[in-house]
Amino acid sequence: MESKKTILVCCGTGCLANGSQKIYDAFKEQLKALELDVELIPDVKGTGCHGLCQKGPLVHILPQQITYVHVKDSDVPEIIAKSITNNEVIDRLLYFDAQQKAKVQSKEDWTFDKKQMRLALRNVGHIDNESIDDYIERDGYKAIAKVLKNMKPQEVIDEMKHSKLRGRGGGGFLTGLKWSFAAKAEGSPKYVICNADEGDPGAFMDRSVLEGDPHTVLEGMAICAYAIGANRGFLYVRDEYGLAVKNMKKAIEAAKKRGFLGENILGTEFSFDAEIVRGGGAFVCGEETALIASIEGKTGEPVQKPPFPADKGLWGKPTIINNVETWSNVPLIINKGADWFRSIGTENSPGTKVFALVGKIANTGLVEVPMGITLRELIFDIGGGIPGGRKFKAVQTGGPSGGCIPESKLDLPVDFDSLTAEGSMMGSGGLVVMDDRTCMVEVARFYMQFLYGESCGKCAPCREGIKRMLEILGDICEGRGQEGDIDLLLEMGEAIQESSLCALGKTAANPVISNIENFREEFEEHIKNKRCPAGVCKDLTEFYVDAEACKGCTLCAKRCPVGAISGEKKQLHVIDSEKCTKCGICIDSCKFNAIKVK
Amino acid sequence: MEIIIDGKKAAVQEGETILQAARRNGIDIPTLCYSDALPGITSCRICMVEVKENGVTKRVASCAYPVHEGMEVTTDNETIRRTRNVLLNLYSARVPHNKDIKALKEKYDVPEIKRLQVNKGETHLAENCVLCGLCVKACEEMGTNAISTVFRGAEKKVGTPFDEPSDSCIGCGACASVCPTEAIQMTQENGVRTIWDKTFELIQCKECGKYFATAQEIAYVKQKIGNDMDMALCEKCKQKGNAAKFKEALKAELDI
Amino acid sequence: MDLSQVKQETLAIASSYKPERRFILAILQDVQRKYNYLPKESLVIVAEYVGVELTKVYSVATFYKALSLKPKGENIIKVCDGTACHVKGSMNLIQEVKDILGIEPGETSEDGKFSLETVGCVGACGLAPVVVINDEYHGNLTPASLREIINRYRGGENHGK
Repeated sequence: MESKKTILVCCGTGCLANGSQKIYDAFKEQLKALELDVELIPDVKGTGCHGLCQKGPLVHILPQQITYVHVKDSDVPEIIAKSITNNEVIDRLLYFDAQQKAKVQSKEDWTFDKKQMRLALRNVGHIDNESIDDYIERDGYKAIAKVLKNMKPQEVIDEMKHSKLRGRGGGGFLTGLKWSFAAKAEGSPKYVICNADEGDPGAFMDRSVLEGDPHTVLEGMAICAYAIGANRGFLYVRDEYGLAVKNMKKAIEAAKKRGFLGENILGTEFSFDAEIVRGGGAFVCGEETALIASIEGKTGEPVQKPPFPADKGLWGKPTIINNVETWSNVPLIINKGADWFRSIGTENSPGTKVFALVGKIANTGLVEVPMGITLRELIFDIGGGIPGGRKFKAVQTGGPSGGCIPESKLDLPVDFDSLTAEGSMMGSGGLVVMDDRTCMVEVARFYMQFLYGESCGKCAPCREGIKRMLEILGDICEGRGQEGDIDLLLEMGEAIQESSLCALGKTAANPVISNIENFREEFEEHIKNKRCPAGVCKDLTEFYVDAEACKGCTLCAKRCPVGAISGEKKQLHVIDSEKCTKCGICIDSCKFNAIKVK
Repeated sequence: MEIIIDGKKAAVQEGETILQAARRNGIDIPTLCYSDALPGITSCRICMVEVKENGVTKRVASCAYPVHEGMEVTTDNETIRRTRNVLLNLYSARVPHNKDIKALKEKYDVPEIKRLQVNKGETHLAENCVLCGLCVKACEEMGTNAISTVFRGAEKKVGTPFDEPSDSCIGCGACASVCPTEAIQMTQENGVRTIWDKTFELIQCKECGKYFATAQEIAYVKQKIGNDMDMALCEKCKQKGNAAKFKEALKAELDI
Repeated sequence: MDLSQVKQETLAIASSYKPERRFILAILQDVQRKYNYLPKESLVIVAEYVGVELTKVYSVATFYKALSLKPKGENIIKVCDGTACHVKGSMNLIQEVKDILGIEPGETSEDGKFSLETVGCVGACGLAPVVVINDEYHGNLTPASLREIINRYRGGENHGK
């Protein structure tokens, strides 16, 4: 007899936004109507993110391993008729792999997936979001059982220390070492916190784990609780992540029912309970002391460290805070051993890292790679390079705390220390790719604008310094830049780094400083010649149509939202600079690269 | 315990901060948000010093960093000065007319960064407040909690809920007295004190006739202490009598 | 709005949590969800319920972006201005909404139908640029397609409620 089929419909936020719920429902409904033999009814599972969000909604069929992209609900009857009942592959719905120059049947064979190694995301996309059984089937809750039955708390800490796992939230502090501090710290009760207040603009790694594999986070937290002697945990989740909150809530309930959470876990003396706290929309709450203040019901303002939370954290008690991805690694390390973990990645940054690959890149989505891979491999092999025939300019890592890395440094290995040495940082894992249509001065201003809105305002350098740097950057973008501005920005940036209270402020100037270091001429061009070479800063930009290149295809005239472009078919087009709002849509739509920046 | 501050050995006590140790040893470090009675706010950041310990050199806020045996502290070097110069310029851009910030800039010979835009300021508070947080902490310590910081980031300010006169305010003036930049307006006229848009009747000292506290303040303290102490004497006259304890316990240290 | 009703409803919301300070944010989030803003009376009730001074609740209410003291529109248009969306032209989308509705980010249209917000990152970078209206995501937008979508909402279609 034929083995039972499973249809995995990606129900991550990206695919849901593209209508995957309708597809999931259509499969459920239409399969029911078929009145198949009970044994043959395929399982339809709504899973977490499959990775390549841009091609969503994604549907993966097992056991044949067929992956369909850009699926619509109207495709469902055909998929059922051909691929489910007849094992036929629908060519039209397959992914065209630009690097292989061919359609590829299974996502396992996509170039996008080949250099990846999914550890933290090992279950995401493979299991039903809401099924604890699916999790258990894939070694779920095996690690906590192992720990409770065979390991003393100190042995757990030793194993974690030996693994050299570093915090995936940005700082890169050694997880095991941190745990050992909390284990030794005096004070009781102790607490365990999951930092799921992912707020970097351009990052959604944690969301995918919370949505697609919530139990692994709970299991990681329970293991830590056992190791340091805590009985209570909190998950501080961004409230905007509605699906993540919902799935995590269900996971907590299910785990309690099965005895993986609550009193006397697996019949032992150990008890551990976890609850969700919804974040209030404050980026600064990603900083651990601010997050703690927020859980306590206060404004999310950081406090001076030391003391560190491992000594005095939530309600003044020893507290361990790790981020989602870190927690997701914990059960794996316990199951497979620290030595195995260290065999992956680099000596000082073992394991893998999840990145959100976004921006001006062909394959937008979520990827997980071994540490030490180069940025070039990430962007060009996995990411498929820059779309639209444009040129790579920079990649931004580390979000508002990080920096932009130029072409010349693309062979840098991705690990905590290399990126920091370049004035950027690993951060939580956002990789925003920028092409030659990106203005690096404007990007610097963008990050300052973001931080201006997110600084808590407690300490003066961050509150006042960001405001003034933003004003100067605004001046530069709008044609009021003055000689000496670049040096002043660097001077202020250094002072803010030196004196701010928390990590938000200490790293706030990084995007400005690194952009100046790597793209100084672009700043100078803005200040001295009042010109934005990328054609982004509207006051310093004028577009024109290159008479040689223009084919008179009329596309730009059609797309222009303000009707500023005129011209007959097959004739040279002209831009009315009075009307032009410099939105750049014409540049992005022109297939002949005929629209230029003066 | 001994540490080195600016190249000289200094005897310090376990548990104290670098700032406390330095000041006791006659070494000057500037602060705005620090008060002996209300330590640990760490918001003004002008007390940064360089610390060398266990082979690591770092800059820390001296008002909160505890002393450790053998550490070396530098209170003045190129980096510290550069940072302080920028900071004091940021302060003066915020409160351009404030004399306390002007005085600090003069004292530390801070060059003017003319490029910075400066605040215009619409109210007295905005004109002088550097958001150090001392007033809020004083109000918290009093237990009244009439004011707090409101909003966040660049919009942050100190105020009462909805900018309305607060039911909790007892007009004690602790907030105004701890303010390092005289940003909180408190007026006293004909036996009436006005602060935070609320007026309070002042009580005269039974002995010397001086107005010394608001009626609400006295009622509040009485209720807090919970006995019938004689509340009719001002600070000076109190010393003669025996009604001093409550005030010292709660407030004397706040009266700078 | 009927004051005593607001008070009762707020108390009902608060009562689903223990009267502890740590639940201030959660209670306020629920109140915000109910009224689309935080009525003054609600803050007073929450302070009483959890047993803290009004200042503590007020500072929380003004600190977090998810909370608002001013009533918001029936439809909330959140233009994502995360980095990925930014480099893919979210500025043009913000400008388009400003042009259509005549409001700046943070404002509500006069008819009370729309509020415009820019948000940090909604985590749907794969679909950049993204706009979230109420809780519905719209991805890969251009100013023209956004205009169409807003016109749908203007025509009375209201997905959020």
